[in-house]
Amino acid sequence: MNFYSLAGKMIPFFWMAAIALIAIGLYWGFFKTADVLNDQKQYYRIIYVHVASAWMAMWLYAVMVFWAMVGLIFNTRLSYMMASATAITGTIMTLIALITGAIWGKTSWGTWWDWDPKLTTFLILLFVYIGYIALQSAIDDTRRSDKASALLALVGLALVPVIYYAVNCPDPNQCASLHQESSLKRVESNILIGMLVTTLGFWMYSFATILMRVRNIILERERKTSWVSKLKETS
Amino acid sequence: MSEFFHMGGFGAYIWSAMGAAVFLMLLEPILLVMKRRSVLQEVKRGKRLEERRKRDLQQ
Repeated sequence: MNFYSLAGKMIPFFWMAAIALIAIGLYWGFFKTADVLNDQKQYYRIIYVHVASAWMAMWLYAVMVFWAMVGLIFNTRLSYMMASATAITGTIMTLIALITGAIWGKTSWGTWWDWDPKLTTFLILLFVYIGYIALQSAIDDTRRSDKASALLALVGLALVPVIYYAVNCPDPNQCASLHQESSLKRVESNILIGMLVTTLGFWMYSFATILMRVRNIILERERKTSWVSKLKETS
Repeated sequence: MSEFFHMGGFGAYIWSAMGAAVFLMLLEPILLVMKRRSVLQEVKRGKRLEERRKRDLQQ
């Protein structure tokens, strides 16, 4: 069995896992937790989608760079296809994190947006994702566009430690930041469960959509090959 | 129940945040399925053209 059909068999399972985990995570987060939490009222519940999508946005960037690097080193076509399939789901996750973050910011800080280090670096992450996608679609020759965009992804990797230190600032006097530190130890256990289970669900969602997209890319790029024309769905 | 959706007055914020996430996470797979259909159609068209070309060559 080739990767294309294996991925096709796995997609329904990832969808089921995603729906189940997100449902359990949100149920836990909404019904097993207190309404008011220190200075945060009910609106803190945005945390479940916000943290899940923000984590996935950063993680998927690392995954994308991994595939881009494998492609550059071993010159394997499938790893380039995986990298470009990951980029769009990563963009969607970054968008969700920014939108839910803005709404949470409005309730919690009284403003939709602030040029705080965390928010600013995340906006740049969105632009790097978009830049990667734009660069890839701007070059017609797929082999060259794969290589060029893989290099851009590698350069963008410099952002990841910046984002990390923007949240976990070593010296609070040096970074004025509205965004709270992401210290898991301080989070109440029921909220933590809701957050982690939702994140796992978002991860399964990413697997499902990335595999769906990579299958589309494979079909598109290999449409002239004999194995594609022998497929059941193309007859 | 309505108290649950009210969320202590923050319902509009919480549900619009959830709604935005749900919207994007439904839109993405819908677009992927549409893309798959159009790519499959493209592949089938290419196959038909190829078969016709072969037939024409034989005649």
